Amino acid sequence: MSNAKEKKRAKKLRNQPLNVVLPFSDTGAGHGGRSHQDGERTFQPAQSEAHSGTSHHQKLGHSFHGAYSKQQPSMSRGERRGGGRGQGISREIPKYITATTFAQARATEINAMLKAVSQKSASSLVFQSLPRHMRRRAMGHNVKRLPRRLREIALREVEKVAHLKKEQSKNKCRKARRRHINLQLEFNRRQKKNIWLETHIWHAKRFHMVKKWGYCLGDRPTAKCYRACYRAMAKYCLLQDLSYFCCLELMGEEEKLLNALSRLSSIDTGPTFAAVQCLSGKRQGSLVLYKADRYPRDSLGPITFIWKPKDRLFNSSETRQLWIWVHPALKKDILIELKQVCQCAEITNTNACTTELIPAPHPKEKLAVGAKIVGKKRKRESREGEKAVPVKKIIGDGTRDSLHPYCWVSQDTGIKISDLTMELIRFRLIGPLSHCVLGEVLKAAPIHSELEALEVSPHQWWTEQCRSPDAVALHCQQETIFQLLQGVTSSAEIPTGTVLGLTVGDPRLNLPRKKTKAMPDLSKYSDEEVKRLTLEGVPAECAWSSIWTQTVRNSVTDNKISEQEINRMRSELLVPGSRLDLGTHESKIPVLLIQQPGKVTGEERPGWGSGWDICFPKGWGMAFWIPFIYRGARVGGLQQGLQHSQYMGVPHITSDFPDCPAGVQMAKDLEKDLLKIYKRRPPAKRANYVKHGTLAPFLCPWEQLTQDWEERFKALGISPATAPSGTYEDQVQLSSSSNFAGATAVSTEVGSPGKSMVEVKKGVIGNVEKHQDVHREEEIKSNDFCVIRSRKFLKRLSAWCSPSARRGQRACHSSQTLEPEMSTGASSPLVSHLPQALVWIRLALLRKGNPELHAMICIPTEEDLLRLKKDQLYCGPQEPKHRDIFKCKLVKLKKNKKTKNKTKDEEAGVPGALQAPAVGTDHEDLILGLWSAPLPNVSLHCSRVLLGFATHGDFSLATGGGEALGFVSLTGLLYMLASQPADKKGLVLVRNPASLQYRFGRLTVDV
Amino acid sequence: MAENRPATHLEPKGVLGLDVEMDRAEHTLRRRLPRKLPKRNNDVYINMKTDFKAQLARCRKLLEGGGFNEICIHGLGLAINRAINVALQLQANSFGTLQIAANTSTVELVDDLEPEVDDEEPASRTRNNSAIHIKVYHSFSK
Repeated sequence: MSNAKEKKRAKKLRNQPLNVVLPFSDTGAGHGGRSHQDGERTFQPAQSEAHSGTSHHQKLGHSFHGAYSKQQPSMSRGERRGGGRGQGISREIPKYITATTFAQARATEINAMLKAVSQKSASSLVFQSLPRHMRRRAMGHNVKRLPRRLREIALREVEKVAHLKKEQSKNKCRKARRRHINLQLEFNRRQKKNIWLETHIWHAKRFHMVKKWGYCLGDRPTAKCYRACYRAMAKYCLLQDLSYFCCLELMGEEEKLLNALSRLSSIDTGPTFAAVQCLSGKRQGSLVLYKADRYPRDSLGPITFIWKPKDRLFNSSETRQLWIWVHPALKKDILIELKQVCQCAEITNTNACTTELIPAPHPKEKLAVGAKIVGKKRKRESREGEKAVPVKKIIGDGTRDSLHPYCWVSQDTGIKISDLTMELIRFRLIGPLSHCVLGEVLKAAPIHSELEALEVSPHQWWTEQCRSPDAVALHCQQETIFQLLQGVTSSAEIPTGTVLGLTVGDPRLNLPRKKTKAMPDLSKYSDEEVKRLTLEGVPAECAWSSIWTQTVRNSVTDNKISEQEINRMRSELLVPGSRLDLGTHESKIPVLLIQQPGKVTGEERPGWGSGWDICFPKGWGMAFWIPFIYRGARVGGLQQGLQHSQYMGVPHITSDFPDCPAGVQMAKDLEKDLLKIYKRRPPAKRANYVKHGTLAPFLCPWEQLTQDWEERFKALGISPATAPSGTYEDQVQLSSSSNFAGATAVSTEVGSPGKSMVEVKKGVIGNVEKHQDVHREEEIKSNDFCVIRSRKFLKRLSAWCSPSARRGQRACHSSQTLEPEMSTGASSPLVSHLPQALVWIRLALLRKGNPELHAMICIPTEEDLLRLKKDQLYCGPQEPKHRDIFKCKLVKLKKNKKTKNKTKDEEAGVPGALQAPAVGTDHEDLILGLWSAPLPNVSLHCSRVLLGFATHGDFSLATGGGEALGFVSLTGLLYMLASQPADKKGLVLVRNPASLQYRFGRLTVDV
Repeated sequence: MAENRPATHLEPKGVLGLDVEMDRAEHTLRRRLPRKLPKRNNDVYINMKTDFKAQLARCRKLLEGGGFNEICIHGLGLAINRAINVALQLQANSFGTLQIAANTSTVELVDDLEPEVDDEEPASRTRNNSAIHIKVYHSFSK
């Protein structure tokens, strides 16, 4: 018999219990005997050898024959096939069986079976060990339903479970727990630590929720909708709840405000708070803030802001109002800095805070009382005080304690900062047709006529506004513009960041019966007007909305008709299903619509992912949410937001800001999570990053990367060769590279103006190095790296990165226009000033490959480029495998530990115990497959020189290829560009952390 | 459209090169996509990014398997050449069963000038670009 068959049988038998096999060897003596007797029975030699030879019971021969052939079907199939091939005899039915011997032969087997039956396994409950036909309903609950013999065990089990159970659920039945009051109490308790958004319950039913930044947020839908969400984003409308963004309100005189805020930002990075179009309130602005006077270091993070429109009709005082929207992770730092620049040191906890604090919960109670009167079903109304009814918690803020003040006033400048977190709801609609969804959902509020104004309506502010003709005119103008939006085919056609104020009626009233899809209607509106709207945008005065006034906001929140009430009124309609008309009692909600420009940087897909943001007072979240969904908007979570920013090529808030404290924190958290996931796997089943030459798979060492590059340049600058060929020689590059560089230098002198650019650049780089050397000694060495956000410099970089030969005429244009700027060498002082700088880049893979998180971006050698030139299908070079230098250490450590433990056991004395931890601390964080101690030179660790890391990488559905976003070292980038030939500019290599394969990618700096 | 006249025959970047000389430092030029119009199933918009063969195959598929007697091929600006090429190729390979009828038009495009400094207003302006619309139809149906 072949070896393989034996192996196969052994494998089959492996799963048999040992005690079953053993008796066979006992009784198996019979086999041998019988096989001898029969003669013609050939068994597998291994078996017969194993079983034969102990004793020959000739007498039992017959009985065993029967026993054997009976037993054979119970053997595993493989064995049977092996043993009894081509023999009909074994299939014979025995004539008789002797019961005693038969049972004896199987005694242990039966024993084992009985044991298994009587003994339940640890993980199952008692009643689960019963056969199915003996099980009864609610057995786990009622012990008496079990057979008596099992009751004792079951009782013990029940006690154990009861011990683990929570107290709360025991004393109240489910019905009581689900009662509205109790439910509300429970909800309030559960959001003590992490605040819920108003749409939380809707999200919690459909999303994977995560606790982040003090909020409970929907991460991604539980449904499979990766592609569907992308389609919604690209073609229709994706809805997102951004209410967790914090709004900070600044009030004060314009000049003083601008003076104070100008310290936080720089004009280098583009328009600031003082930009004309933003200052008039017409547009939303966006900025990256820095610590006061610290630009370009110490960034605080990105914000968006809106000014309240200047020429208002209602108030002509000098104070301006500014809303700054910040991410909750950045809020703490930004708020501190704002307070500092505005000199709002002291806290006003007397007037402003109390006025803000008290009115919010108070009317809520009133509202609850109103609901009580209406809802006839509520019992115990008389018995319980009104206070016993817990109010739905609307105020709340995950980023501060409720006791903390949220209002600061400065005595000197008169600037008042207040924190409006959770006071405003903000939804984001992404997609070209999001304005159509808005147009269907929102209907401008009807204007109260003279007669109606006399009636007592809860919406006093609206009646007052309706009295003023100016306000009415403004409202009409806003309404017409809003309707005109329906004639626009894509939300990207509206000027960037347009703000439109509006007062709308209750969106719940015009809810369609079925989910519908909103489409633009081009025929309705005249082309001329639409064209004017798309060209000029919304006039500045139309950006005004009453949402800016706090009293109006509070009144709108308080006078919201509850869902229950609306439904009751609906049910009382004469014609079921007709539109509910509330007349003057219909709520009016001031909203603010803000256009989001979508993709503005780069050349491809302009306006991709554009959309609208809508802001309205708190309490109305669900009232707006459901109508949006009924108009066909798909809902996305944080993941979809990330995807959106990734496809747009913009840095994602917090994770792509490595120079701001929140970004650093975020990276650390990410590292912790990734490490946890990594450690969860056994070492053999996870990537050994040391062998892959990946120094930092979980946390990008930006600081070290920039330092390494700086030092490298220092070393290169000091080296005697100042000629281009010598300067650009690299340790890693082959000697041929220097020849090549020299050749390009020659060709540039002869070549066209496009090529002379290379020469210029080389000059620049040379200058850079010299400058750096000069400045090195003067400058106080600061460890901080920074991210370049200067528009001027980014533009220049972007022009240098684009390959001149490939793009043809267009690129020539750009290079020509930018050439004079480069020749002035304006960049060199900047580079020397910022030796440790990072540049935000986008990377599109040329062919194959799918970059991942923290993929390494490297410089291709000359050889790689040559091979690519020769073979268009060349995928990229491979990284040679590295040696795991930590493995032997780890093994040694383990051995040491073992021996230490042994000695400890033997001695049981003090010295061993003292020594052991000392050894342990030495390599405590040694994990197989990861670099532990200080990292070596990051950029030179692998065969290709490291330039930077990708912070996002994925297959991009928008471009249909792998795409990555990340940062590279500025000095490294300039070095690379200088050494690359003109038609290969911006070609880099990308390698995933757990892979040895490099892939080619094109690097672009989008401005 | 007198003010737009100079830009009509130029490539988009050409605009930047010529008359925005003074704005260049203060403004960034951002081109918007051309206005999107409702698209029927037998409309084919030709671009410069997709492979020519793929575009040709798509048109052929529409005419043969798609059940359309006529398709409309649109090309804008640089893609006009290619649109014509696609239509002529279709006709040449049809053994005389396909006819073509071309129309030209002018499409208004919008450029945004985003300010780089605080005291500049953003501006938008229009320029014109030529477009071609070629109807390709089976001759027997007419």
